[in-house]
Amino acid sequence: MNDVSVHFAGVSKRYPHFSLEEIHFELPTGSIMGFIGANGAGKSTTIRILMGLVHQDTGTVEVLGHPMPADQAAAKMDIGFVSEDMRLYGAAPLAWHMEFLRGIYPRWDQSYAENLARRFDLKPEQKIKGLSHGQRVKAALLLALARRPRLLVLDEPTTGLDPVARVEVLGELMAALADEERTILFSSHNTLDVENISDQITFIDRGRIIDSDNKEAFLDRWRRLRLLLPPDVVVPRLPGVVEVGGSGRLPVITTNCFDPVMVSVCNDLGATVEAVDTMTLEEIFVANVHSRRERLTA
Amino acid sequence: MYTQYIHMHSGIVISQSDSRPMYLQIMEQVKQRVAVGEWGPGDEIPSIRQLAMDLRVSVITIKRAYLELEREGVIVTQQGKGSIVAPDPDLGSRLYDEEFSKHLAKVAQLGELLGLSSEEIARRTKEASSRLSGASRTKEVV
Amino acid sequence: MNYSMVRSLVLKDWYFQRKAIVLCLAGGVLSLGIIAFGGKMGFYLGLLLLITVMIVIGATLVMGTLVGERENQTLAFVMSLPISFREYTAAKMLVNLLLFIPFWLILVAGSLGLIVAAPTIHGLFAFTVIMAVEILMSTCLMIAVALVTESKGWTISAMMAGNLAINVIGYVVAHIPGISDGMFGTTIQWRPAATLSVLVEFALIALMLGGAFFLQSRKKDFI
Repeated sequence: MNDVSVHFAGVSKRYPHFSLEEIHFELPTGSIMGFIGANGAGKSTTIRILMGLVHQDTGTVEVLGHPMPADQAAAKMDIGFVSEDMRLYGAAPLAWHMEFLRGIYPRWDQSYAENLARRFDLKPEQKIKGLSHGQRVKAALLLALARRPRLLVLDEPTTGLDPVARVEVLGELMAALADEERTILFSSHNTLDVENISDQITFIDRGRIIDSDNKEAFLDRWRRLRLLLPPDVVVPRLPGVVEVGGSGRLPVITTNCFDPVMVSVCNDLGATVEAVDTMTLEEIFVANVHSRRERLTA
Repeated sequence: MYTQYIHMHSGIVISQSDSRPMYLQIMEQVKQRVAVGEWGPGDEIPSIRQLAMDLRVSVITIKRAYLELEREGVIVTQQGKGSIVAPDPDLGSRLYDEEFSKHLAKVAQLGELLGLSSEEIARRTKEASSRLSGASRTKEVV
Repeated sequence: MNYSMVRSLVLKDWYFQRKAIVLCLAGGVLSLGIIAFGGKMGFYLGLLLLITVMIVIGATLVMGTLVGERENQTLAFVMSLPISFREYTAAKMLVNLLLFIPFWLILVAGSLGLIVAAPTIHGLFAFTVIMAVEILMSTCLMIAVALVTESKGWTISAMMAGNLAINVIGYVVAHIPGISDGMFGTTIQWRPAATLSVLVEFALIALMLGGAFFLQSRKKDFI
């Protein structure tokens, strides 16, 4: 159908103590995008705008071809949403929630729901208020997945889950993508999860998107070069340098647009390249945020 | 319809603590299985999506690994039909040969750093080889 | 407007308030029984009980279905369903009114019936009708405020304002010329003043509910 499941253009939202500015991004259908940002960076606000729960001040938002928030009812027919601050009805059992949604979503898959309950170790007759936090998260995820949505929007889906539950949940999310028309957007602090399962990665910091790219490209572009400088040689000027650490003779250069030719450039300038380290997504994220904040305060 | 979802266990296991990029790990493991003969020439291997689900790793990473593997002639991806091991009967031994050459290059490099002559390097290599066959002969005797 | 979604939402809320609803229904039946078979004492007692039950059901439903969603953080779950503010607002209004109005109608019918049956208090007819609509109006105020503010504090204030209003308006209406002069008589009178009063009240009800609907449509942050 649509090539793009989610489209944000020029979106901004202003609150007294926080504002989201110039949010642009696209989420291709069939892919999975991870949103990384510190607390308060704007992930949840962006996701709420996507769901039509918060109206943007400027800009256009299109979800599954529907303009938001105008057409939110139609869009939400195909969306499964789970957020960290969302609660189910404590007085009712999981089974009640399943029946309730079954009557609303035509694509509800009851056997899949029951299957998931078994896999997630949840008892449908148990009241939600009797469940632990991790079980509640899994219950909410079950309810979102079983409606077979075209788009899954998850705000911190694995936060608060024990390691075993986390792996289970990630497994189910990946399994949901077996259908190529399905798309997933999830926000997380957990850079490891994002690094492993995302196709696209978007960084948010202080209300702005500071980078958005395909995951492999990200990981390819960022490197730490460990150099050994002779006494009279100064740190080489390289493109895309985000940070220079280490010591005077042993600088460590962090760059966000690495090219192998840089190694020869360093060698030509008299610096020995001791190592070219890849960086984990977490290291990339922290370096990105630090340098940006430093630039702003400078 | 049902056969599409049969879980094809790849037998590939990822190590989180391995600092190398994920796609390289995957490539290495695929090559190992081919070298060892578990996946023979022309055998079907998991599709990109199936492997992504199995390993809980993004499709884009698997795609990259498969692309590189195809470039190196290890696998062949058929449009709409999934991927198979390259039908080259010598593939297994070729892969081992490539590994061997890589290690030899490293030996030469380190030898040079240590200041050893090529004769010295060759002698040391021979020593290592005889030590190995000596050990296996001892095993046979015991 | 997606009517099937509105229906699902209404049924959901009634499901969660079922205990309170059943209890109040029982209380309502009990009070009617007391009125019917309790003689003169029973009339006043029963009426008091009925009014209490009605106030309780109004307040419980409003608190449970309106303020409760935000307090229990279930609002995100509800709004993640395929609805917009329209279905949400309509459903919440219906949940409350569809339960309150039957109780209210019984109260009105019961009270008026008793007035008609007892010649000595015939004169109270017009006043009773006006006050009954006033009670409906107070409840609509409470619903509108709870819907728009989703705040316990504001809703309780609206309840208190409603209670106060009953007394104040009761006093005012009892002194309106077209109504006061027949109040303690033995004939049922319906003068233009009474019609006007009732019309004004219904207009205010429409304003409150319409206003709430309008304000909901202007909300930019639903969560």
